[in-house]
Amino acid sequence: MKFQIEDVTVYFPYDNIYPEQYAYMVELKRALDAKGHCLLEMPTGTGKTIALLSLITSYALSKPSNPIKFIYCTRTVHEMEKTLSELKLLHNYQLQHLGPAAKILALGLSSRKNLCINPTVVSAENRDSVDAACRKLTASWVRELAAENPRIPTCSFFENYEKSASEAILPPGVYTLQDLRAYGKLKGWCPYFLARHMVQLANVVVYSYQYLLDPKVAGIISKEMQRESVVVFDEAHNIDNVCIEALSVSVRMQTLEGATRNINRMSQEIDRFKATDAGRLRAEYNRLVEGLALRGDLPASDAWLANPALPNDILKEAVPGNIRRAEHFLSVLRRLVQYIRGRLQTENVEKEGPVAFVASVNTQAGIDQKMLRFCYDRLHSLMLTLEISDTDEFLHIQTICDFATLVGTYTRGFSIIIEPFDERMPHIPDPVLQLCCHDASLAIKPVFERFQSVVITSGTLSPIDLYPRLLNFNPVVSRSFTMSLTRDCICPMVLTRGSDQLPVSTKYDLRSDPGVEKNYGKLLLEMVSVVPDGIVCFFVSYSYMDGIVNSWHETGLLKEIMQHKLVFIETQDVVETTLALDNYRKACDCGRGAVFFSVARGKVAEGIDFDRHYGRLVIMFGVPFQYTLSRILLARLEYLRDTFQIKEGDFLTFDALRQAAQCVGRVIRSKADYGMMIFADKRYSRHDKRSKLPGWILSHLRDAHLNLSTDMAAHIAREFLRKMAQPYDKTGVMGKKTLLSEADLEKMGNSNLGEMF
Amino acid sequence: MADKQQQVVVKRARHKSSVKDPGTPGVLKLTKDRFTFMPNDPSSPVKHNVEFRTIKGHKFTKDGTKQALLNLTQDQGGNYIFEFENFPDRNVCKDFVASAIALSGEAGRTVPEKSAVPIQDEQLSAAEMERRIKLLQEDSDLQKLHKQFVIGGILSEAEFWATRKKLLEQNYSRRPKQRVALKNDMWSTKPLADGQSNRVTFNLTPEIILQIFAEKPAVRQAYLNFVPNKMTEKEFWTKYSRAEYLHSTKNVIAAAAEAAEDEELAVFLKQDDMLVNEARKKIRQVDPTLDMEADEGDDYMHLPDHGLPRNDNKDVLDSQYEPYRRSFSQHLNQHAAVVLQGRVIDVELGDTRSVAEALARTKHAELAKDASDVYLDKERLERISRMTEIEDLQAPRDPAVAPLSIKDPRDYFDSQQANAFSTLGDTVSGAKQLKCSVSTREAYCSLKECISEIKFQGLTEPTINSEVAFKVLNGLAQNISSNKYHLGRNPNESVLDSLPKITREELLLHWSSIQELLKHFWSSYPITTKYLLTKATKLKDAMSQIYPKLQEIKESVQSDLRHQVSLLVQPMLQALDAAFAHYDADVQNRSARSGERPNGF
Repeated sequence: MKFQIEDVTVYFPYDNIYPEQYAYMVELKRALDAKGHCLLEMPTGTGKTIALLSLITSYALSKPSNPIKFIYCTRTVHEMEKTLSELKLLHNYQLQHLGPAAKILALGLSSRKNLCINPTVVSAENRDSVDAACRKLTASWVRELAAENPRIPTCSFFENYEKSASEAILPPGVYTLQDLRAYGKLKGWCPYFLARHMVQLANVVVYSYQYLLDPKVAGIISKEMQRESVVVFDEAHNIDNVCIEALSVSVRMQTLEGATRNINRMSQEIDRFKATDAGRLRAEYNRLVEGLALRGDLPASDAWLANPALPNDILKEAVPGNIRRAEHFLSVLRRLVQYIRGRLQTENVEKEGPVAFVASVNTQAGIDQKMLRFCYDRLHSLMLTLEISDTDEFLHIQTICDFATLVGTYTRGFSIIIEPFDERMPHIPDPVLQLCCHDASLAIKPVFERFQSVVITSGTLSPIDLYPRLLNFNPVVSRSFTMSLTRDCICPMVLTRGSDQLPVSTKYDLRSDPGVEKNYGKLLLEMVSVVPDGIVCFFVSYSYMDGIVNSWHETGLLKEIMQHKLVFIETQDVVETTLALDNYRKACDCGRGAVFFSVARGKVAEGIDFDRHYGRLVIMFGVPFQYTLSRILLARLEYLRDTFQIKEGDFLTFDALRQAAQCVGRVIRSKADYGMMIFADKRYSRHDKRSKLPGWILSHLRDAHLNLSTDMAAHIAREFLRKMAQPYDKTGVMGKKTLLSEADLEKMGNSNLGEMF
Repeated sequence: MADKQQQVVVKRARHKSSVKDPGTPGVLKLTKDRFTFMPNDPSSPVKHNVEFRTIKGHKFTKDGTKQALLNLTQDQGGNYIFEFENFPDRNVCKDFVASAIALSGEAGRTVPEKSAVPIQDEQLSAAEMERRIKLLQEDSDLQKLHKQFVIGGILSEAEFWATRKKLLEQNYSRRPKQRVALKNDMWSTKPLADGQSNRVTFNLTPEIILQIFAEKPAVRQAYLNFVPNKMTEKEFWTKYSRAEYLHSTKNVIAAAAEAAEDEELAVFLKQDDMLVNEARKKIRQVDPTLDMEADEGDDYMHLPDHGLPRNDNKDVLDSQYEPYRRSFSQHLNQHAAVVLQGRVIDVELGDTRSVAEALARTKHAELAKDASDVYLDKERLERISRMTEIEDLQAPRDPAVAPLSIKDPRDYFDSQQANAFSTLGDTVSGAKQLKCSVSTREAYCSLKECISEIKFQGLTEPTINSEVAFKVLNGLAQNISSNKYHLGRNPNESVLDSLPKITREELLLHWSSIQELLKHFWSSYPITTKYLLTKATKLKDAMSQIYPKLQEIKESVQSDLRHQVSLLVQPMLQALDAAFAHYDADVQNRSARSGERPNGF
């Protein structure tokens, strides 16, 4: 269908639209018109992504003179794939209705690991070794050597790509990673470098958060994006955590050992160069004197991760004189490693600010703040000079330099915590030095400054006024939409007691109580016998999940559960988890369905949908609080209290509940879908906890469902499933429209829209 | 099974009058139609010589239980219990008995002297034979027909089956029998300790072994490598159980220590490399919207030591013990995956080695196939695009219909065919005389006439008069439904119900035999060889034998039912009449042409 929103003709690839999608688009359009940032919360299952995509592409189409670029950030690669396939659908529709004028170039961008098609490179174990293997074939010095000596291997795909130079472009279309690889294979071009190049020219770019938020990556990928861009962070409820993670580093004993090895290796290389090619080192020195940390523009294949500090904070100065010479720099690094090693010997937990730390480095190791700050760039330059291609071996020293640069650049919003052992295992010494960032606004600040519109959207952004404070920006539009429902297709329940009427909770004192474990197991057992197709269970942590599943196994509960459904479980190994998920889906497609055990805050909870028959019920076992004794968390809470006057308890509850809401929100995809959610913990019945749940869940949470025991919950589930099996009118009942057609929209006009919400 | 029929199986066994009875040792000899038991002590009174056709069924104990028993139940209620020395012996006998009973049952108790499968004039593979026998066993009607015609000598075995090729194929390739899935039950490694001694016992049955092999390819591989060259089966499983026991104690360090001493044990204790490799292959096939591995590959935020450490630290363990760590969750996932895949092999469970080999083969084939499947890729893409659509925002893409599932298409077409005969018989055949020898010119002229007629009148639109079409369809539909009655597939509403049982069965039997005969009869035209001629004659004779029987039935029933019966019989008679008429016409033609009369006419 197509319709007008003010002056923009929106092309929407379906015959009908939900009213909240329409309202969402209207708000979004206003934000784009105002060239400002916006914050939009819309419940899951209302087609947020397609609304976003169709409005922004239509907006760009309606202003051909001043085309805006559209940067869509997802948290994960699989979400990227999903978004791109929705975009494909939309693009096909637009092509049908507008003809070639609607042609756009849209592509996803990922790392070499996911894009490389060179079989020898891509077979490497992990991302870093793929990167290194690629560099070994494509670094400028390797290619120079190969030009003289044909026995040195190069990558034919990269060579072909280089040879075709300006001809190597992608024709318009929507490219998923798979399509990019296929196209690369067809043309014999390297898809990774092709995509990196095309990002500058594309109308729509879909990539992961960190390509904008993490300065290390953003520095090389997103440097040249134009200001007239619309940046969207989808599923952004965790964006503050991503931001602080982007600027945090931790150093362990292994890191220091590795770094020492790296330094030794570099010093050997320097000696070798001195003997054979002293000119090169001298050239580097001269360049540094001129104030260039790096050669003007590096070939794309040489580019490594950029400076960990934000671009605006990096001083445009020359590298200080005392680390210009390679061997001097190495000795600085040696002293720094030695100093950190000394600090790790501590027997007590230490916590200090960056300023105190820098001062102490200065007095004890003779390294001043400026030297620290330039560590990373200096290292990068040195590695290029030494022509080191196996970058995966040098991650340790890179970590040290990242740390040095960050600690030398920022004076506030960070703290340094040294712990000699893990709180939970005091008998095992595992010293760690953590530089943790508390200020989420630091990392995202350049994004807000650089781009004219930044859209932050998710299914759970409540309380919506908290995010502008955490991220320190002023949205022109900040709205939360409710879901208009045709029928009560979600059924949240709070389960407080087991079938024996004893309370259930994952509170610390009740957590390992066998009675609670048994009650949780009995709950699941009841549910697997009632609910068809898929059931997803979320636990508060891996260790808790392992423990409880093992105990269910020992008591035979698991066996009984397995008589109803297959059981899959998330593990820390992503390959295994992915396969388990794939099998879970297969099991839900046929037969009696399956149960998936997963962890709140885990990888599955972050981005896998359990819509339709893949999830008819989610059980959230416990409240997913963060580990409250963690020093990092305590430091962050302290910072939040001091800066934003947010109470610790409030923040913890907010954080736990947004995770819980996120977990249970994965069951609904559209209004035709339906699902139940069980919050199995007595603490959910308390008002202060419950009220932090997003509105769309609260509005369906009836008072009668607030204090249930297992058998009552099973009864409600049966009733609910029976009700959902009845036919219903999709377009809504009792005068309240929940599905709008083109004609409805025309009739309504823009004027009376407000009344509907 | 076919070759087993020729065999004689001789095994040592004890005959027991009850399960508790110590039994009489002796020799059990099985031939295809009877079994004999000779006690070792010739003076013992326990001697048996029993025909299989008197045996109603057989029961046996599960493999791995205390005694290897086989219990043959007799028609009249008596039973024979034999205890064997070991399970393989018992299983051989069990299989043999099973087939022998089936055969004797198939041969029909009324014709005991006939062997089930008559001498064949073609070479048949054992599998083919087995298939046929199975079909006969499953379908008593078919069995009756087979008995009547093949054993009665009217049709040869090959002829009988030639018309049922489809049935044979269908039963075995397209419509596999529903197979029993693996049990969704993890082999509980909880050992059974008896509390007093330090002994721990594990219980392994062939089912469990299959499961272990399927879930743990490394164990399977080890079995193929070690048994029987390096160790006996028993040693192998003892070792395996020991490893499992070590795992169940969750003492990684002890496991590592044991593994260091015993390299075969280490195979079980270490992580399963084959699984890891398999996982790496499979991950490439995974739906990209699920692929979290790709996600990890894109995550520069969590470079080693970057970002905030996850709260869930793994417990610290020396790297040397790392290979010995095995998590329960891993096992859980693997188990569910195997169950989901279902029973991939079709091998008798008793023989451990063949089970292992078969599993290894299928795995191998599967992985080889995966590597080069473009089709899968495409399917996956389609699936994704289907998944991305929000279904309730648009009209359903395909009309919401379920595919029509005709339970057995054969029923439908058979009835159609019979129908055609009956209608042809009374309407068309007499009405129009077809001119067969037409010259080119004549043909051309008539075509021309048709064309000019159409030119003159214009094509009727629609081409077929709707009334006529309706009539035809109606007639067909009615015929089909009435045919259903004849076939008696739908006994609830059938007139057949009102008939006495004997009459009904007789009718049905005749009906099916007529069908069979007619099928063969018509398929032998045009007669080109002598063979076909004799066949047609034979068939005609057989049919003419049935003809009076039908009349008899008609007369024998009570007067109130006579009308209905005659209605039922009428189409059969008509069909037969048509066949006779055709036969006579053909014979006359033949004699007119060659001047030579076939035998008997």
